Amino acid sequence: MRSILRTALAFAAIGVVLYAAAYYASERLLYRTGDTNPFFKIETAEFEAYDWVILGASHAMPLDFADFNAHMERETGLKIHNLASPGTGPLYNRFVFEHFLRDHRTAGLVYVLDSFAFTSPTWNEERFADAKLLARAPFSLEIAWRMARYSMEEGVDPRAVLDYLTGFSKINNRDRFKSDIWEGEAQFERVHRPSAAATAKRIDYLFPQDAPDQAALARYLGEFAALLDLARRQGVEVAVIKMPVPPRFYEKLPGEAAFDRRLLALPAMRQALFRDFSLAMDEREFYFDTDHLNRTGLTQFFDRYLKAILVGSETAVP
Amino acid sequence: MLFNSLGFFLFLPLVVAVHAALPTGRRWAWLLVASYVFYASFEPAGALYLAFVTLVVYLCGWGIGRTERRTVRIALLAAGLVIVLGLLVVFKFYDFVASELERAGAAWLAGEAPFALPHLGVTAPVGFSFYAFSAASYLIDVYVGRLAPARHGGHLALYTAFFPKILAGPIERATTFLPQLGESLRAHPEQIVAGAQLIVWGLFKKVVIADNLAPLVDRAFSIAAYATPVDLLVAVYFFAFQIYCDFSGYTDIAIGVALLFGIQLMENFRRPYLSRSTAEFWGNRWHISLAHWFRDYLYFPLGGSRAGQVRRYANLMIVFVISGLWHAGLGYGVGWTFLVWGALNGFYQWVGLAVAPVRRWFAARSPQFAASTPMLVLQVLVTFHLIAVAWVFFRAASVGDAVLILQRIAGGLAQMPALLPRYPFTPEHYLGFGLIAFLVFVEVLDERRSIWKRLAAWPVALRWAAYYAVIFALLFLGRWQAREFIYMQF
Repeated sequence: MRSILRTALAFAAIGVVLYAAAYYASERLLYRTGDTNPFFKIETAEFEAYDWVILGASHAMPLDFADFNAHMERETGLKIHNLASPGTGPLYNRFVFEHFLRDHRTAGLVYVLDSFAFTSPTWNEERFADAKLLARAPFSLEIAWRMARYSMEEGVDPRAVLDYLTGFSKINNRDRFKSDIWEGEAQFERVHRPSAAATAKRIDYLFPQDAPDQAALARYLGEFAALLDLARRQGVEVAVIKMPVPPRFYEKLPGEAAFDRRLLALPAMRQALFRDFSLAMDEREFYFDTDHLNRTGLTQFFDRYLKAILVGSETAVP
Repeated sequence: MLFNSLGFFLFLPLVVAVHAALPTGRRWAWLLVASYVFYASFEPAGALYLAFVTLVVYLCGWGIGRTERRTVRIALLAAGLVIVLGLLVVFKFYDFVASELERAGAAWLAGEAPFALPHLGVTAPVGFSFYAFSAASYLIDVYVGRLAPARHGGHLALYTAFFPKILAGPIERATTFLPQLGESLRAHPEQIVAGAQLIVWGLFKKVVIADNLAPLVDRAFSIAAYATPVDLLVAVYFFAFQIYCDFSGYTDIAIGVALLFGIQLMENFRRPYLSRSTAEFWGNRWHISLAHWFRDYLYFPLGGSRAGQVRRYANLMIVFVISGLWHAGLGYGVGWTFLVWGALNGFYQWVGLAVAPVRRWFAARSPQFAASTPMLVLQVLVTFHLIAVAWVFFRAASVGDAVLILQRIAGGLAQMPALLPRYPFTPEHYLGFGLIAFLVFVEVLDERRSIWKRLAAWPVALRWAAYYAVIFALLFLGRWQAREFIYMQF
């Protein structure tokens, strides 16, 4: 039995060395293929200080599709860093923002808000365990430590922390050689053909529960308030916006008015600029899918509304 | 806590370590506790069913052993079987039959359902199909005197609940399992090595091969009416290997895990796609523990092949139809597809029996040609394709879908040489083909001489390189999103 134990130990030791090599190679590869992941963007940020950071879920992502971020920077003369990632709610975004503030600074924060992201752990705690996000997040002890803290305090699955520490999702990444570009970006130039079935499917995906979970809503509004407080403590100006969506999509959003009332009742919101552009752009040719702006739509949106907010003008009310 | 989950990778070493540290006499108890914890991790209430079934067979078996009166013995056997197998039938079919009756009533009255039957709206605990059959075999063995009633209730409880096999078999016999519990339950070094090899190989088959084929299969079968003939043809081939790797991968892991406790479970798969006839496939190579269960507890009691030709044909069909119904609910819902699947396999057996004299005559006239490699390959290919056609009924959402898939493939066969070069094969397809080729290569080698014996004869460096290659294939290519094993979903 002793001999088999020795053999097993030798086998495991070689295995660990090989695993470490695979981990290292995956980490290096990540730097060659990384693009969209917020932690990758923070790690590879060009500047230490920015004028604006953009947070939110997928509706904020087109602002960084193709050359659009550069376009906004040219038009405003500001430095903008978009750290949005798909399907992420306030808890995940607070985590990203905390990590960003560790080594960077920003004068302003645009939070692109979606009500769905306040309704379920699916868009918050559970996003930490998403293999796609973990696979593209560069290793940093600081992130690992923060994740461990979120695991203890916020209910993030400890397996997500273990995954991040061991680099499992990076090594196991099936798209390891592909660039980390969100699938929506490939459709950025397209025009969507409205479909009631597609809209209904999308709403079902975003709101998996039959009725809004009031406890979850209260919790994530609290997380959002914590994010706003963090920004206030750091002297960061905050603009909370809701991106335009087609009216047929907006009509299907469950309890949107009630959500807005509860959002605006947050004391932390008094310090923030809030603009709801949900119904500001109803032309079909402005969207590349059921609810995301395409290049034409985004250009219009930027020219008509967002630019004013970024440059600090008060003409931003739609 | 699936075998391919992080939870199981933490659970198993803990159970093995405590097991090894305990005195011999306590090990069965620890394994019983671990088995119930494992089982309850899926659904705590499921452990109650398990305990209930165990109690029923223990009491009935004890009663059968206590009396010589035939009527009482028969009554106890019948009571035990009706409770255990009756529950299985109710769980599997009650809601389905109720819905079908309502639908038939509605069709009869042109739209209006004349009655609404109560529905249970419950599904059976995972693995119920498997441990119900183990429990039934125990009762029958006690009744016919193959086995003395278990004196040790704990051992019997472990027999029904043993965690490596409870979800999807093998459907172990008490005659081979219980005697092992009376021994030391200590794993020898050779058993530990063999167990680890089987676990890794089983995971490879499940996580790398089966789960990489699954998305392509799922996509084509879900849009049967819109998929191209090439999509469907590829999906049919891929499904044949998906279900094999999924199920045999599970079994390999189960046998490997049991070996870590010094327990030997029965072989359940023997390179089934190298069968030369469907009789060989079902008799000796695919899901052997179930095939032998049906042989011993249904086919033989019905008279088997000794009750005349007509009865033999009828018995075969009965066994295959019931086997088809047993499979209903395993992964792909409950429907008529399983009845058709069972009947089609029964029909294959009929044809096999009918042409057996011709095959024997041919083998006697040209023994060399009959045993030649081309003939062998031809037999294997024909058998594989017959089985693959039958799998379409197993996998399709309805009999109509299955027929449509087969029609579309058959209709497109003539154009295949033109269609295939133009088909937009993706890297996922090439990975699937590569993995299947690798599996077939390994199985052909294994058929000639055990792959484990071959490995043992290799130099250490080469052997370890092979182990690391498989382990790192799991890391690089495995799909670890804990997709369930097909056969444990009922």
